[in-house]
Amino acid sequence: MFTKQMISSEIPMLMSKACEIFIQELTFRAWMHAEKNNKSIVQPCDVAKVIMQTDTMNFLTEIIPNNLGDFSVFDAKEENIANIAEENEVSLSFTAGFMGNPMMKMDSEENAGNIVEGNQATLPYTSGFMGNPMNMMNMDNVRMK
Amino acid sequence: MAESDNESGGHTGNASGSNELSGCREQDRFLPIANVSRIMKKALPANAKISKEAKETVQECVSEFISFITGEASDKCQKEKRKTINGDDLLWAMTTLGFEDYVDPLKIYLHKYREMEGEKTAMMGRPHERDEGYGHGHGHATPMMTMMMGHQPQHQHQHQHQGHVYGSGSASSARTR
Repeated sequence: MFTKQMISSEIPMLMSKACEIFIQELTFRAWMHAEKNNKSIVQPCDVAKVIMQTDTMNFLTEIIPNNLGDFSVFDAKEENIANIAEENEVSLSFTAGFMGNPMMKMDSEENAGNIVEGNQATLPYTSGFMGNPMNMMNMDNVRMK
Repeated sequence: MAESDNESGGHTGNASGSNELSGCREQDRFLPIANVSRIMKKALPANAKISKEAKETVQECVSEFISFITGEASDKCQKEKRKTINGDDLLWAMTTLGFEDYVDPLKIYLHKYREMEGEKTAMMGRPHERDEGYGHGHGHATPMMTMMMGHQPQHQHQHQHQGHVYGSGSASSARTR
């Protein structure tokens, strides 16, 4: 059924260079996103935002929500608080309150939705104020796992 | 629909790889993190910082990129009943999948690579000098060489890893020719 295929000698060289260009494009866009949010370190959620916002990167959407779910467990301190705050603003727009957030984290599709809408969150002071309670909820989430 | 085709192609490729290696190891699924990290840093100012998790995310993404492009190229070859995927198939796949901006830089790169190959062939009669010249005489090593040289201090499986990503059996056969 499957015919064994071969590759010309140019393929490894071309693919290596293409991968370099791809890595640098993805990294630069992620860094631009981090800078826009006044963050000093590029995080997975910056990469995820690029994937959601760039049409040619949409083939990666299937592998990102899971990765972002893992990210919420990492001890990212300040960046973590800022990111959770963004998600919090998204949940508020649904009038779900704090109770809605854990359920959304468990559903990868909703997580993807959060990522898209999270782009609209631009209120730095509100984000800072709301950071603490969401951080506590995050800890609850960690314990459940 | 296109995604379905790609996934099918990618999966088949992986199956073939698994057969050759009798099971994929964790370290074979992705390109080496150190190489990915170095390439990422080249895209940013010196003072920029990248978290370890972001590097791992990009590491996963680039492997998916390889499967995405090569799966499309592989499907095209199968439909046209050709057994060997060539550079034009790869460039066509990138155009089809929205990476047309990559094609012109790659064509320029391919042209320069062929020029260098010509020089390399001219030195075939002098193996020792060829090695030295290849390593030092042409400004900088190709990415493939960089990756291979980067693997030397590491375990042998890293070399297999690279071979696996591009289809180790076919790659070896192609290189021999």
